[in-house]
Amino acid sequence: MEICDKLKILADSAKYDASCSSSGSNRKNINNGIGNGDVSGICHSWGADGRCISLLKILLSNACIYDCKYCINRCTNSVKRATFTPREIADLTINFYKRNYIEGLFLSSAVIKSPDYTMEMLIQSVSILRNEYNFNGYIHCKTIPGCSKELINQLGNLVDRLSINIELPSNDSLKLLAPQKQKTGILEPMSYVSNHIKQNKIDTNRFKNDFVPAGQTTQLIVGATPESDLKILKLSEGLYNKLSLKRVYYSAYVSVNNDKNLPTLEAPPLLRENRLYQSDWLLRFYGFKADELLDETHPNFNHILDPKCDWALRNIDKFPIEINTADYFTLLRIPGIGVISAKKIIKARREFLLDFEALKKLGVVLKRAKYFITCKGKYFNKVYKFNQNFIETNLIYQERSYLPMPEFKQLSLFEQLNPTKEDKIKCLTGSL
Amino acid sequence: MSNWKLINKTFLYDGTFDGLLTIVFDCYCKKTFPQKIYAESNYTNNFLDDIFIIKTDYDKSERIFNGIEKNICAKALYNSYYAFLSDDNEKEINILKYICTGFDQGPKINNMLTISYVYKVINMRKQTLSECHKFKGLLRFQEIQNNLYYASIHPDHNIIEPLGHHFIKRLPMQNFIIHDKTRNLCFLYNKNEYKIIDDINIEIPDISENEQKYQELWKMFFKTIAIKERTNPRCQMQFMPKKYWKDLIEEP
Ligand code: SF4
Repeated sequence: MEICDKLKILADSAKYDASCSSSGSNRKNINNGIGNGDVSGICHSWGADGRCISLLKILLSNACIYDCKYCINRCTNSVKRATFTPREIADLTINFYKRNYIEGLFLSSAVIKSPDYTMEMLIQSVSILRNEYNFNGYIHCKTIPGCSKELINQLGNLVDRLSINIELPSNDSLKLLAPQKQKTGILEPMSYVSNHIKQNKIDTNRFKNDFVPAGQTTQLIVGATPESDLKILKLSEGLYNKLSLKRVYYSAYVSVNNDKNLPTLEAPPLLRENRLYQSDWLLRFYGFKADELLDETHPNFNHILDPKCDWALRNIDKFPIEINTADYFTLLRIPGIGVISAKKIIKARREFLLDFEALKKLGVVLKRAKYFITCKGKYFNKVYKFNQNFIETNLIYQERSYLPMPEFKQLSLFEQLNPTKEDKIKCLTGSL
Repeated sequence: MSNWKLINKTFLYDGTFDGLLTIVFDCYCKKTFPQKIYAESNYTNNFLDDIFIIKTDYDKSERIFNGIEKNICAKALYNSYYAFLSDDNEKEINILKYICTGFDQGPKINNMLTISYVYKVINMRKQTLSECHKFKGLLRFQEIQNNLYYASIHPDHNIIEPLGHHFIKRLPMQNFIIHDKTRNLCFLYNKNEYKIIDDINIEIPDISENEQKYQELWKMFFKTIAIKERTNPRCQMQFMPKKYWKDLIEEP
C-alpha cells in the first residue's frame, strides 16, 4: 500500500481524539538535533472543523482485535485497514517537522495482535525518532490498555506526554460498550505512570531521560452513555487530584456505528462538551470544586448560562464583591473575570483605587461582571437592583440577544434555548 | 515627564532600534521631546515639518540599552523592543515617553496602564509577540535545494528577527531563508550564522519530486483530520484569517 493511502486511513481513524496540545514540554535541542519543545505549545494550522492542528495525529494501525461498540475501528466493522511501519512513521514526522507543518507526533494505535506487541511497535517508532534521527520535538503517545509495565517504562522515557483514554466514564458503560477492556487495565497503568512521574521529580539528580515531562492526559466520551455532567466532572476532579493528570479531554460522541447499546444522536453534543470544558477550567485554575458547580438536584449544566454564572446566581449571597479589596481567588469567582483580568486588577490597584472606568481601560469586560461587583462601594450605574431575579433575567436576556444562526440550531439538543455567541465560537475549537 | 518641554520638530532616524535609543538618550539629557518621530524611509516630506535628522550613535544607544535593564527592569527592555517591531506609525514617540518615564518611576511603570503611552507600548508588544507566535506555527518551509529551505510570509509587524531565532534554535542543522514579502526582508541562516538583508530577488526553482510528495501528503492529512460532523468554517477563519492563506501549503 502507498504511504499516501496509509496516511489517509490512519489519520482518518485518529481524528476523533480531542487532544491536540503540544504544550508543557521545554525539551531542548541537544547535539544539533532536530526540534525542540515550546512550553506553551504552538498551533500550526486549523482544520475545517476549527480545531487546531499541532501534531501529526495518526494511528500506527487500525487493524483492531477488539470490538468496542462506539469505535469506527472495531473488528466487526468493515473498514479499510492499514498499518504503518515504525520507519514510515519516523520519516513522515521528520519531513513534516522540517517543513514546519507540525510541532511533533501524536501516535496512537488500535490493538494489533496483543497489547504488548502493539506497544513494542509504538516504542520502535518513537525510538527511531529520538535515538536515530535525534528528534527533540514533541511526542505524545498513547499507552495500550493491558500492556506490561516494563513497556510503559520504556515508552515513558522517550515521549513528552502519555495518555490512556478512559473513554467511558463508568464501569457499567465500559462493560457495555468496551467489553474487552477492563477498568483496571486503564486505571492501573495510569496510577503507575503518575507515581513514576512523581518519583522522577523527587530524584532531582536525574537530568537525563526525563520521564513524561509534559505529564499524562486522558479523554472521556460525552454523550454515548447516560452519565450525568456531575458524574463526569467528579471523575475528572479525582483524576486531577489523585493521579495529577495534566488534562482531561472531553469528546462529544459522534455516531459512527449502529448498535443497540448506542444512542443515535443527530449531531454530537457540542454544547455539553463545551460546558464540561468550561467547568474543567474552573476546577483547574479557579479553585472551584465539582460539588460547588453541580449537585444531585442540579446534576447537569445549564444550557443558557455558563457554569460560573450559574454558580454565582445560586450563591448570590456571596456577592457583590468589592474589586478593590477582594483577594485573587475571590476575584476569580466573579462571572466574566478570568485569570488575566484578575491579575490585571491586582496589579493596577496597587497604584490607585479602581472605578468602572479604570476597569474598562484595563480591558476588563464588564458584560457579565457588572452585576456582581462594586467599585469603591458603588454599583455599576445601570445595575439599579441587586437581587437574583433581576440579574438572572438580565443575564439570560443578554445571552439570548445573540440570536442563533440556523446552523447552530443543532447545538440545542435538549432544549430550545440557544447558546451565546462566545459559546458558539469556543465550542468547536477544542483549544478552549 | 510632566515638566518636559515639547519642541516643535520632527525627528528622522535610520529606522533601527539603536537609532531610536539614540533619540531617547538625547531627549532624556535635554528633557525635551519632539512632536513626531519617523524612520527616514517611512517619511514623506511635509512642507510644514521642521525636520531634524538624528544620527545613530552606538555608544549612546548602548548606554540606554543597559540603562533600561538596570534602572527600570528587563521586562521594560523586552516591552520596548517588541513594541519597536510593531507596525504602528506612532510607536517611536510612545516608546520614547515610556522609557523616559520608566527612568523616573522604575519597574512599577509596567503597572501604570492608565497612562496612555504605557498602555500603548504594552499593547504593541502584545500584538507583535502574538503575531510572532502565530507565525511560529503558520510559516511553511519548502525544500528548494538539498537541505536549503525557503519560506515566505506576509506579517503585519516586523517579526522576522525573533522568528528567525526561533527556527535557529529549533532547526540548527538546516539552512533556511525566511522572506518577509511585506517588507522585502530576508533572514538567511547557514547552520552557523544569520544575516538579515533587504531588497533581494529570490528565484524559487521548481520544487523537486520529493518536496512535491510531502506537500501532497500534508494537504491530504490536513483535509482528513477534520471531523465532518463538526465543520465550522467561521471558527477556522477566526483563528486563521484569510490573509495567512497565501503562504500556506494546505488549502483551508
Ligand atoms: S481498542 Fe477499542 S477503541 Fe481502540 S481501536 Fe480497538 S475497537 Fe477502537
